[in-house]
Amino acid sequence: MRVRFVDLGRQYLELREEILAEFDEVSSGGWFVLGPKLQRFEEEFAAFCGVRHAVGVANGSDALLLSLLALGLGPGDEAITAPNSFIASAWAIARTGARLRFCDVGEDMNLDPDKLRDAITDRTKAIMPVHLTGRVARMEEIGAVAAESGISIVEDAAQAVGASRNGIKAGAFGSAAGFSLHPLKNLFVHGDGGVITTSDDSLAEELRRYRNHGLKNRDEAAFWGINSRLDEIHAAIGSLKLKRLEAWNARHREVALRYSEELAGIVEVPVDGPGEFSVYHRYMIRTPQRDELAQHLEERGVETKVNYPIPLHLQEAAKDLGYGPGSFPVCEKLADTILSLPVHAHLTDEEATHVIESVKSFRFVGGV
Amino acid sequence: MNANPNFLPDQYDRDRELSINHNYLVEQFADSAEILKKIAELVERCDYTLGREVDKFERRICGLIGARHCVGVGSGTDALMLSLKALGVGPGDEVITTPYTFFATVGAIVTAGARPVFADIGDDYNLDPDQIEAAITERTKAILPVHWAGLPCDMERITEIARHRGLKVVEDACHAILARRHDTFAGRFGDTGCFSLHPLKNLNVWGDGGYLVTDSDELHEKLALMRNHGLLNRDQTAVFAYNSRLDTLQAIVANHLLDKLPHITDSRIAHAAWFDGALAEVDEIAVPKRPVNTKQVYHLYVIRAERRDELQAFLQDRKIDAKVHYPIPMHLQPAAAEFGYERGDFPKTEAVCDSVLSLPVHEFVTREQQEYVVARIKEFYAG
Repeated sequence: MRVRFVDLGRQYLELREEILAEFDEVSSGGWFVLGPKLQRFEEEFAAFCGVRHAVGVANGSDALLLSLLALGLGPGDEAITAPNSFIASAWAIARTGARLRFCDVGEDMNLDPDKLRDAITDRTKAIMPVHLTGRVARMEEIGAVAAESGISIVEDAAQAVGASRNGIKAGAFGSAAGFSLHPLKNLFVHGDGGVITTSDDSLAEELRRYRNHGLKNRDEAAFWGINSRLDEIHAAIGSLKLKRLEAWNARHREVALRYSEELAGIVEVPVDGPGEFSVYHRYMIRTPQRDELAQHLEERGVETKVNYPIPLHLQEAAKDLGYGPGSFPVCEKLADTILSLPVHAHLTDEEATHVIESVKSFRFVGGV
Repeated sequence: MNANPNFLPDQYDRDRELSINHNYLVEQFADSAEILKKIAELVERCDYTLGREVDKFERRICGLIGARHCVGVGSGTDALMLSLKALGVGPGDEVITTPYTFFATVGAIVTAGARPVFADIGDDYNLDPDQIEAAITERTKAILPVHWAGLPCDMERITEIARHRGLKVVEDACHAILARRHDTFAGRFGDTGCFSLHPLKNLNVWGDGGYLVTDSDELHEKLALMRNHGLLNRDQTAVFAYNSRLDTLQAIVANHLLDKLPHITDSRIAHAAWFDGALAEVDEIAVPKRPVNTKQVYHLYVIRAERRDELQAFLQDRKIDAKVHYPIPMHLQPAAAEFGYERGDFPKTEAVCDSVLSLPVHEFVTREQQEYVVARIKEFYAG
């Protein structure tokens, strides 16, 4: 049996007619940018996350960048994020002109609030916790540390749409949060897309100008902005799929919980603590024999990934930041031991069983 | 929802009331069965980002205008900004451009970290090479000529100035696909040429999109990395770079319309020529200088009109979508306050912005509609 890491085609089959009808409606209506589909999607997305505003942008990277820019981050400032994220989190900070600082993560793979104070300087203006794998970071503690020093929080919620912590959804903790609608996300459109959430009215207004050249009306720019808009055609699909998201996330969780139950004691598995509701955009196990296990699973037809093998602080792009091997031991250990197993809303029970049995059939050297 | 400064919905609603429109998208995509069929295939294939239709589009653009490389990106704005960044333009540098342009030209310069320095336009409404020379300082790093309305700038002189002064040239060809000067296509003169696929451009897609062309292998390599997070491969990044990709879905639309582009272009040129002839009889109307040996593709058909605002209102009342592109030049924008310009700095630009008016010349405009437009203009001035 072949178990693919993702299978976007199955979701398409579920929604084929509705998706094509949306494409048809948008294209024949002739309104492609900043129109009614986007407005509707923004309202629905804001309501879903429990915030006042959602602002559709071109992609998740821009969602983070614009959030930071609108909060005034720039040269001379510093911002902190996790070193075990996708490149876009680090890029967004670097791109504002601010100095990029990393802080190690905890056992939940997210920013460790206990280490955060060491990374804060009097120039720190923003903290960007990443809700990696769809698990919300320890936001109460992170928020408390940030509040002590008057620092803003921008959540990187790219992987965490629908996740929550103590009843609060990802995207509703920070001054702003950036989401991605990239095709590999739990909620995705058929190209690049992103969303920013915020409950700050004036920040929302600034963001809506920023994404559209800084325009305050057709003929006047209040400031020089960028062009970063969520296409109508993508917003229409966003609305369509948002209705299914809770059911899809539930399936992610169902598969993940089954993996964790069956694989606990064999490999290290993720388990939600009290109040946590993770949406398992990725399901990551840990084992010192990661590469061998990945090879074994590959032979059994199970596709796996490592998200990500090279931490951000060890990327060539980060060489000027003064970090090196050993700077963030937890993150570096994770990079050597994590493995993502297939999890998606359309994974069948048989496929999940095959994944579990394939892991169990691996001969772990020295036992578990 | 409150605090929604999206002004476009109101504008679209107003435009719908008109009958001779700038916006032709409903007609253009009335039957999109062919495109939708290809999109259905894409959705089955799932190569949503940087998929094969993007490659195909890039190759076709290269073939169409004779460029060595093409890079599909998120928008025309991003094509400009990424070009400047790839050429090493950044903080401390100055970039010379025209104050008679769309916001994106200036936004791209500012986003790249550089300072825009404006130079006035000539009688063709494009950057005046003599004014460029006067604007060059020791900080000048690049010239960003805009082929406004689809008319190529005097690129022989501009590239000569650039060569002489060691400056880079990034062409804003967002209005100018298939425009030519002598035998060379717009976009082919500079270090890069930047194009927009915005829904209202001559070659358009179903949302935002753009592309740039270059003959430099080195720039191509850099830009292909820069649009995709700087990723060397799945796990390694050489520089922290942007996410700015032309969606595969949009490339499908662009590939479909590329076949129609010659017809789209020819229609615009024919409609413009007819307006030129008919409006020659109207003393209160002036058209820009039409340089010889130049193929203008009329993304916009702009005239200068006496009592412009009154004429615009008169035409709008008669359901003609006469628009002003644009009433406030870049150097007088609220956003430009920090640059210290004032009214009077660029007299030709200011005179154009005070009197310019655009008439619809897209492929779906009929001769009867054009006759109606000219009759109403004559009526206005006779009245």
